[in-house]
Amino acid sequence: MTPGLFIQLIVNALTIGSIYILMVLGLDIILRGTKILNFAHGQLYALGAYIMFLFFQTLKLNFALSLVLSGFALALVGAISYLGVFAVLNRRFTVSTAFSYRLLLSAMASVGLMMMLQQGTLLCFGTQELGILSPFTQILDVLDVRISLSRIVIIFLSVAICLMLYLLMYRTPFGRLLRAVSYDPEAVTLQGVNTFWIFVACFALGSGLAGLAGGIIAPLFSITPSMGQNIIFITFLVLLVGGIGSYRGTIVGGLLIGLLLSFGFQFLGGIAELFVFMLVIVILIFRPGGLLGEAAE
Amino acid sequence: MVKLPNSPAIITANRYKWIAIAIILIALAALPLCIENNYIKHLLIMACIGAILGMTFSMLYSAGLITLGAAAFYAVGAYSSTILVMNAGLSFWAAIPLTLIIAAVLALGFGAVFVRNAGVAFVIITLIFVQVVVLAVAQVEFLGGWGGIIGIPRPDPIGNVNFATKTEFYYLVLAMLLLTIVVFNALYSSRIGRAWRAIKLSPNLAGTLGINPYRYRLLAFVAGSTAAALAGCFYAHYAQSITPGAFGGWLSIYVQLYAVLGGLEFYILGPAIGALVMTFVPEYLRMVKEWEPIITGILLLAVILFFPGGILGTIKGRQALSMAGLRSLFKSLKSRTKRNKNG
Repeated sequence: MTPGLFIQLIVNALTIGSIYILMVLGLDIILRGTKILNFAHGQLYALGAYIMFLFFQTLKLNFALSLVLSGFALALVGAISYLGVFAVLNRRFTVSTAFSYRLLLSAMASVGLMMMLQQGTLLCFGTQELGILSPFTQILDVLDVRISLSRIVIIFLSVAICLMLYLLMYRTPFGRLLRAVSYDPEAVTLQGVNTFWIFVACFALGSGLAGLAGGIIAPLFSITPSMGQNIIFITFLVLLVGGIGSYRGTIVGGLLIGLLLSFGFQFLGGIAELFVFMLVIVILIFRPGGLLGEAAE
Repeated sequence: MVKLPNSPAIITANRYKWIAIAIILIALAALPLCIENNYIKHLLIMACIGAILGMTFSMLYSAGLITLGAAAFYAVGAYSSTILVMNAGLSFWAAIPLTLIIAAVLALGFGAVFVRNAGVAFVIITLIFVQVVVLAVAQVEFLGGWGGIIGIPRPDPIGNVNFATKTEFYYLVLAMLLLTIVVFNALYSSRIGRAWRAIKLSPNLAGTLGINPYRYRLLAFVAGSTAAALAGCFYAHYAQSITPGAFGGWLSIYVQLYAVLGGLEFYILGPAIGALVMTFVPEYLRMVKEWEPIITGILLLAVILFFPGGILGTIKGRQALSMAGLRSLFKSLKSRTKRNKNG
């Protein structure tokens, strides 16, 4: 293996890894905050890519502006779907509702939402593959290694988003509320906070992250209606490896899976995915709660 | 609310349940006699397979676990039976018990790892396990790769029954469904079933009562997976071709829908009714073509949001309501007549 190939594979791993991290952070915020295992998350990601296409390619807006807009658009979609579906469902649950029942019904509701979103996207944008002309076409030539600038931009943007998310979660009163709600919603209610809108914000924030991930990846890959289904399995896998409810674990897991898949596809071909999945099962034998998480009851 | 297992209410409820099941079975057995259309027979067969898979989901749910992995052992059953028949030259009837043993051993091995995780982690692990199985069969050349295996022989004839028509297959799958129902019902009404329900209420509390949640959940996983393998065994020889794509992750999600739609608290009848509805409704929605998934999604959301008890739960709720209404009406009439007598 030449050093050039090695660096290229590392860059590829970081690119897909950072997308996984954004996806899983969104999924985890929703899961911890609102106790919904959101199967529609992959579809939100696909929708984000399509909205990016709409703003950037069709309306010819600025790249950064269309990215921000697609994030906000998806946050709006998330908020509307929470208000329309999960808020109605939540009224049925009380403190004494069994967790498995609650989890199952909200997961099934998200499957219904996913079906509608997927077919809706397909009806709006058609089945053909769409592509965005990347605004960053330069090829960087560092020490005889050719790296496309658009990949560097993806990594840079993901790191920036993660940093902003960190500041939001740990340095603002709003972030403190979000974290408090994921620990104990009843206690937060007892403190006189209306948790309803915090839940809406949780779902909107998570969906917005999925939208941003879709928008960021749009210039690199072709946009298809099935892209959401392809990524959701990997997203769940990363969530599991890193440990549910551990943001640090998510970042470690995303990078690990990104590296494994990137190198695996290069040297093993299609069977790499199988090996990665098997490896995850082996990890779970020794650490049932994931790398940095704790095993659930 | 905990009911004692031998309280008279439960015994009568059980008797009604058995009468209902008998009537349904007789109706199901008579169905092919009045249906000419082969396509509807095919849908009925698929609904029976769906019902078996849905019951395996309900079995794990009765122990407080949510599985998305029903399709995994469905695939294991289909592939191992195919290999046993086509490569080892066994007859279909000899392959069934072997397939079930293979599936049970695999379920024991994998389940020992999976069941240690509860809640969300278990859901995701089982979903990923389906992907592992699909990728594994797709990547191995011996198992046909993505193209799958075609030309799987029909079940060997017994007497005059040579499995040439859909009707014969229908009776075979009905027999398998019946077997699953009998075994599952025996499990639910035994000490094991009560232990599962206790674990579902609270694993820790069940632990203090001397019930080992891990072992009982593992048992549920093995029993459910073996039944799913039975369904897979049938499917391979019925469709006569199998592809990895037929066992993808979304099948498991449909299986969950059967249980939710039929009624989550009805571990046997719920998935059966749900499978029947979910097999036929989308078929009749085909006329709206590309809007079909949207309408299915809306229907699903409507059921979850407004009828969370599922079809059976809603019917039972209405029935209880009307029974209570009748009883109070009767009581008020009685007290009125008494008053009339006194006055």
